[in-house]
Amino acid sequence: MATQNSTGFKSFRDILIIAAGFLAIMPVLGINRTTDFIIFSIFVLAFNILYGFMGRLSFGHMLYLGSGAYGITLFTEHVSRNPFLAIIAGICVGALLGAILGPIIVRTTGACFALINLAFNQVGYFLVVVAFSRQTGGEDGMSVSFSKFGFIDFSNKPFKFGFVLLCLLVTYYLLRKFTSSPYGILIKSIKENETRVKFLGYNTFNYKWITFVISSSLSAFAGALSIINYGYVTPSFIDPSRAVEVLFAALIGGAGSLYGAIIGGVIYMAISNYLASYIPRWEMFLGFALLIVVFRFRAGVWGYVSEKFKSRTKAIPVRTP
Amino acid sequence: MISTIAYGLTIGAILFIISIGLSLTFGTMRIVNFAHGLVYTLGAYFLISTLPFARNNFILGALVAVLAVIPISYVIERFVVRKLYGISIDYAIIATYAVALIGIDAIKWIWGASPIPLSDPVGIDISLFGITLPLYRLIIILLAVVIFIALLIFFKKTMVGKIVVAALEDKDAVRGLGISVDKYFTYIFVIGSCLAALGGVLYAPITSVHPYMGMMVLLVSFAVVLVGGLGNIKGTFVSAFVLGMVMAITGRYWGPAAETMVFVVMGIVLIFKPIDV
Repeated sequence: MATQNSTGFKSFRDILIIAAGFLAIMPVLGINRTTDFIIFSIFVLAFNILYGFMGRLSFGHMLYLGSGAYGITLFTEHVSRNPFLAIIAGICVGALLGAILGPIIVRTTGACFALINLAFNQVGYFLVVVAFSRQTGGEDGMSVSFSKFGFIDFSNKPFKFGFVLLCLLVTYYLLRKFTSSPYGILIKSIKENETRVKFLGYNTFNYKWITFVISSSLSAFAGALSIINYGYVTPSFIDPSRAVEVLFAALIGGAGSLYGAIIGGVIYMAISNYLASYIPRWEMFLGFALLIVVFRFRAGVWGYVSEKFKSRTKAIPVRTP
Repeated sequence: MISTIAYGLTIGAILFIISIGLSLTFGTMRIVNFAHGLVYTLGAYFLISTLPFARNNFILGALVAVLAVIPISYVIERFVVRKLYGISIDYAIIATYAVALIGIDAIKWIWGASPIPLSDPVGIDISLFGITLPLYRLIIILLAVVIFIALLIFFKKTMVGKIVVAALEDKDAVRGLGISVDKYFTYIFVIGSCLAALGGVLYAPITSVHPYMGMMVLLVSFAVVLVGGLGNIKGTFVSAFVLGMVMAITGRYWGPAAETMVFVVMGIVLIFKPIDV
């Protein structure tokens, strides 16, 4: 990444690779599943900004996914059925939530950060399922429909697939720009040693807060896209017990790299979609897989592959957490 | 109102018994131990399996269940937790969560996923201030107080306790004195796990036993530990009873909000007193 030009070329090349990869697995998995995989990959990317780059492990990221999901649902229910406006509304709900909770959350580190997120997620789940069950449909959830204009029709599967893939590519490109910018490097420095960054004169609180808002709004984006994909919302979109899924995905793929997040998302979805039907005790399998990742392959699949690759050619450096 | 207070004290007592192990592992080893919830669940399931053999003698069954947890917690400590000392706390969370996942799946394999009810082992109600209370709950509260006093004496008077208290303050200095700190951490881990299993055993007759019972309780007892202070036995004692009362009082007016309220309290405490781990 020596010059601006080579960064631009690399991100263009990466976008082509990702698009080609998803188009290649689409005939194998079917269009519905692939759309699902892509959306989950966006969520992993959002989570990875906090975990892989800033070094803050959130154990309640479903809250932000759920805020987007319920934001888009309530917007279409009460304001407008325009899908694009609804997506923007979903993102705004996530950003607002991140901006409000951020100052409380980002002051903590380590286990405290993980648990306070979990606590907020628990509160959010309660609000959706019990306190506001009349508005959100409670345990049963509710269905959502969007209006159509011309060729823009979100009930058309190939269109939905194309739109979601485009969203992933745009997200990837923006995050690529973000992480290689001076700002992104500062975020990584906060992960390495926050005290030193403070000594250099940076107000780390603001940087952490902004990163948190970026992560929460991207998660809400993924949540909004899932609603567009499924057409209904249930409390499982905000269920705190599912918060580990995204963590597994980020870890299996390799935390701290954008490629790793996408690969991890696909691998995790493949495990939970297919393995569950072949191996009855798949949770146990996942547990052992996770232990192996923690003790042996801490850099994840992508970290391992790129390490092998780097020994022969000079590939993109991967930060191991 | 008195029954609400009694209920709050019962929950507080059980929360204290469970949280003390979590607080000690958190305070000494800086490890968030998700496997603690697994041990708690295992205690309840062992009780169910041993009760028929113990001719429904609850005390004998409980004793066997608590003792049966010792080898399991030793294995968890020896092969997972000990390898996590000193590395990033995120990996500790993930690895212990993986252990909990494996264990819960094993429980579903062995005992099945459906909840198993248990009846009150004492079965005698007593009247106090004009209302009737199950004697069993009073026994639980007394037991928690006894355990609290026993732990205070343990940490003040015995050598193992003193070393652990010193290690809570400064682990490296204790190691510098030539004491193998890891060995004492193992003791503490096993003691904490036994107390968690005891909590599971005591709580089983009040609710039903199911594979995921540990996870919810674990979250609440994390809140207890964070509010009470890491490795602080007196703080854990106070915060367990305070949060138990919060749960009971909230539950009296709005049942489903009881556990959520605990997290609200924890959030407020963390805002004013952030903990750096």
